[in-house]
Amino acid sequence: MLDTLLLILIALPFIAGFICLALKNHSARAVVVVLVSIVLMITSVVLLGQGNFEYTLGGQWNTLITYLDFALLAYIAFQAFYHRKYHSLFAYSAVIFAIASIVMVYYFDFVMAHGIEVEPTFFADQLSIIMVLIISIVGSLICIFGIPYMKDHEHHLHLEITRQPRFFLYLVLFLGAMNGLVLANNIVWLLFFWEITTLCSFMLIGHDKTEIATVNALRAISMNMLGGVGFTAGVMILFSNAHTLSLIDIINSNHAPSLLILPLSLMVFAGLTKAAQVPFQSWLLGAMVAPTPVSALLHSSTMVKAGVYLIVRLAPAYADTWLSTMVAILGGLTFVITSALAVGQSNGKKVLAYSTIANLGLIIACAGINTPLAYAGAIFLIIFHAVSKALLFLCVGTIEHGIGSRDIEDMHGLVDKMPLTAVISVIGMLTMFLPPFGMLIGKWTAMEAASVLPIVLLLMILGSAITIVFWVRWAGILMSTSSKPVKRVIENIAFLTKTPLVVLAALAIILNVIIFQVYNLMISPLAKVYYTKAADTFTQVGNGALVNTVGSFTLWPIFATVIVVILFSIYAVGKAKNSVVTAPYMCGETADNDEDRPRFRAIADGWVDYSHSNYYLNRVFGEEVLTNGSNIISIIAILVMFIVAYMGL
Amino acid sequence: MVVLAIVLGPIIGGLLTGIDRKITARLQGRFGPPIMQPFYDVFKLLGKEKFINNKVQIVYVITYLFFAMLSFVLFVLGQDLIAIIFVLTVGGGAMVMGALSVRSPYSQIGSQREILQMLAYDPLLIITAVAMFMVTGSFKVAEIVNYQIHNNTPLLYVLPLVFIVLIEVLSIKMRKSPFDISAGQHAHQEIVRGVHTEFSGPYLALIEVAHWYELMLALGFVAIFFASNWYIAATLVIVMYLLEIILDNTTARLTWKWMLKSAWGFGIVLCAVNIIALYFI
Amino acid sequence: MGLINNSRAKSPWVVHFDCGSCNGCDIEVLACLTPLYDIERFGILNIGNPKHADVLLVTGTVNPRNERVLRNVYEQIPEPKVVVAIGACACTGGVFADCYNVIQGVDKIIPVDVYVPGCAARPEAIIDGVVLGLQKFQEKVEKMNKKAVGN
Repeated sequence: MLDTLLLILIALPFIAGFICLALKNHSARAVVVVLVSIVLMITSVVLLGQGNFEYTLGGQWNTLITYLDFALLAYIAFQAFYHRKYHSLFAYSAVIFAIASIVMVYYFDFVMAHGIEVEPTFFADQLSIIMVLIISIVGSLICIFGIPYMKDHEHHLHLEITRQPRFFLYLVLFLGAMNGLVLANNIVWLLFFWEITTLCSFMLIGHDKTEIATVNALRAISMNMLGGVGFTAGVMILFSNAHTLSLIDIINSNHAPSLLILPLSLMVFAGLTKAAQVPFQSWLLGAMVAPTPVSALLHSSTMVKAGVYLIVRLAPAYADTWLSTMVAILGGLTFVITSALAVGQSNGKKVLAYSTIANLGLIIACAGINTPLAYAGAIFLIIFHAVSKALLFLCVGTIEHGIGSRDIEDMHGLVDKMPLTAVISVIGMLTMFLPPFGMLIGKWTAMEAASVLPIVLLLMILGSAITIVFWVRWAGILMSTSSKPVKRVIENIAFLTKTPLVVLAALAIILNVIIFQVYNLMISPLAKVYYTKAADTFTQVGNGALVNTVGSFTLWPIFATVIVVILFSIYAVGKAKNSVVTAPYMCGETADNDEDRPRFRAIADGWVDYSHSNYYLNRVFGEEVLTNGSNIISIIAILVMFIVAYMGL
Repeated sequence: MVVLAIVLGPIIGGLLTGIDRKITARLQGRFGPPIMQPFYDVFKLLGKEKFINNKVQIVYVITYLFFAMLSFVLFVLGQDLIAIIFVLTVGGGAMVMGALSVRSPYSQIGSQREILQMLAYDPLLIITAVAMFMVTGSFKVAEIVNYQIHNNTPLLYVLPLVFIVLIEVLSIKMRKSPFDISAGQHAHQEIVRGVHTEFSGPYLALIEVAHWYELMLALGFVAIFFASNWYIAATLVIVMYLLEIILDNTTARLTWKWMLKSAWGFGIVLCAVNIIALYFI
Repeated sequence: MGLINNSRAKSPWVVHFDCGSCNGCDIEVLACLTPLYDIERFGILNIGNPKHADVLLVTGTVNPRNERVLRNVYEQIPEPKVVVAIGACACTGGVFADCYNVIQGVDKIIPVDVYVPGCAARPEAIIDGVVLGLQKFQEKVEKMNKKAVGN
């Protein structure tokens, strides 16, 4: 049973990916992708029923992985070298990092740790299962969304030969690699899947083969390979220090912390690069040039979540160290900086990208705080962020195909043109920052957890206040309408586009309703296993509230208020049916009601248009104002982290 | 308790607003309206014809009202301060989105400025809660009050600087001068009526009632600084309220940059100094 | 309903529209706000937005160029509403009544409830006019209700 599940979760996407590559027929490929997605979703739910497990594969598998790793790294080096003319610095650095990795892996596998057996090969606790669920459900929905999207996308690009087979190869394969990554216990296996995600992201970001796409893909691969080198070095030092390659072994802290800290810091560094934390944020922003399903996948369920997964996974191992404090500060810094950067952006996808990095920073800050409460906060954030962010990316993709722009300013009055997408987008945005939605519960948990570390708490408070700015105004704009009576539009979008949107929106809401069950079933046991010492500070669920030692969040009054608001709104909107619909006040005479937008009456009875836009405050929150300084601060913080780790504090 | 809060909240809030208008008038050498004036205004507005720009507006107004109500009720029930502030944000957010939903230049600018006001006061409010936590060890209002009664040490003695910052925070939150940049109050005009420009009649009445709940919550924040003695707490609230009114009448409106700079610079630094000082006491 | 009706008379918010006045009456309207007269005693507020107003104060002569605007502003005020024509020009056209471009009185364009004569009208007279207008709210409401039933 278990081996079948693992086979489906990890190997099936690989096989299906190559089938997609072979299939030239669009509908056949669509059928394969949909089928695989459905199978993955069902399997992940079955795995949830299965519960925690450990599973060992024989030694010949280890050898196979070693050789595949060489092949993979060589292929990465080749790909980077092949594209060197686009950006030589990124390309050559990627090549150097890849070759360095090969040398290190060779030395490690054949000299240092030859023939080492790690038991078990795979293991799953609630965190792994949560990740598998996110990857398999959210990721699969994104793949389904990709089918009609890519058809449209290539139609826009006027491609003669379709390049979708290759696209879906990497898209589906990505899911398999991620499932492998979160289930692996053998760190060498984890590293192998880690490098596969690097390759997949390179291929997907550069998919459009435009110059900018290739440059950004090279940027991504060079930064991620740097992380990969750090990871490999971490594994080597870990092995020479503690003589172990088993994750379970490390996080159950069977070793003296001083032996583990340096390798852990290197692995955390790898996690930071993958999670695009400042100063590595530029690769994820560059990744925005890729087709929307790629951005959605990279941002919600895969890639960046791999980095966060690693840091959260290792968190118990470096609890109560200075390294942990530095991780918390780094996460908090990223949270504030990227939230502020998001304020200055009018490009919808960039806002989402910065917000992703910010939330990852928050998760990492939670991992760094390293208490049961913070751990719970981190997992809350991982779950709810994946769902909401995937939803938002798919919405922006749909909007972009609908109105031909991803600029927030062009989305005024979207509810008149694309009512369904606009409403779903607003749901997605509200779930990102308002109670009673899970992201906010996560943020609340994080803040109360951070009360032990005031500096991180301050960063969280500032970041969270800034977050509100860009969500509120974007959500507000989407619902702005002209006062003239509009014809009710029924949106004409493909079934395979609509389904993922609706399912994700429903998930985003349902998960909040069952948040206590989620907590009791998945999160609380984890904290109990990994933080045995701090047993009295567990968050409890009682009387419809999350209760911890410092505070409590009672959710039912908020849900009750939401229901009251909905009922009242239905009543009031119904009563307002006959009320007068007026044009906005325009400082005197108002434009006729049948005008599309309000205008000023001016000299000689002429009409004068006006334009309005959000405040983007570019002199305060602009990229060019903030990026350099914040990069320097973060680099210093990372150096401090390494120094702290080297001193074994 | 809940019913009492829901009923008494706006009554006291309305009366206080009436007193505010009376005192303001006296400060300006005028006789001023009756104390009950805010209630007359609201009842009158309730009886006006309904003018709307679009139906979404109505939903936002109702959200604002009920979440303002909820935040006050949660406060009275002694719930978690950070949770209360988050609930308050829902109301503020709904107000901004309501103003953004109309393509009127005035309400658009008003909502942008209101967002900046939220940006200015929101972190300071949470830091205030954190400072209280640092002293009492809990984020729950009930625990914070119990701690003071139990130890007979009012928070004001240990958190004087945070209290000073709270004066500014409340000015921003209640849109009092010099921070009334997103909407004017009473007879003041600022970009016509800022965020409230496009709400009229009964909907404006609901906004006014929601505002009273927020006022009560804000004064509640002040009161728990001296929870060890409720008489002094009441005096403190009155003094604070008078101070706000005097500030309102003696200062000129500032730009958003000033607001952000003073809130984030002055406010955060003062709070930080106070919190660091806690470690040495 | 009694509460609401009582409140109407106690909280009239006025919006002031200048049709083309010599500014004499406008200054007197503003004088009402000053400490000496303080119309806020009666709960009267000077509001910028006709959507929030109950009383429309019109000063100056109406002419074919601005009658459309006057009507538009009037329509922006939600019912029940009262119009007070302030000054001789607004009431009848005043000394300009015979000019080729002057319409003789605001009431030719919109229904006027109270006429406040004077050139310029005294603040006391303006306040008196507004207070007089408040008494008209009752009939207005009845008319409004009848209309609602008719619909």
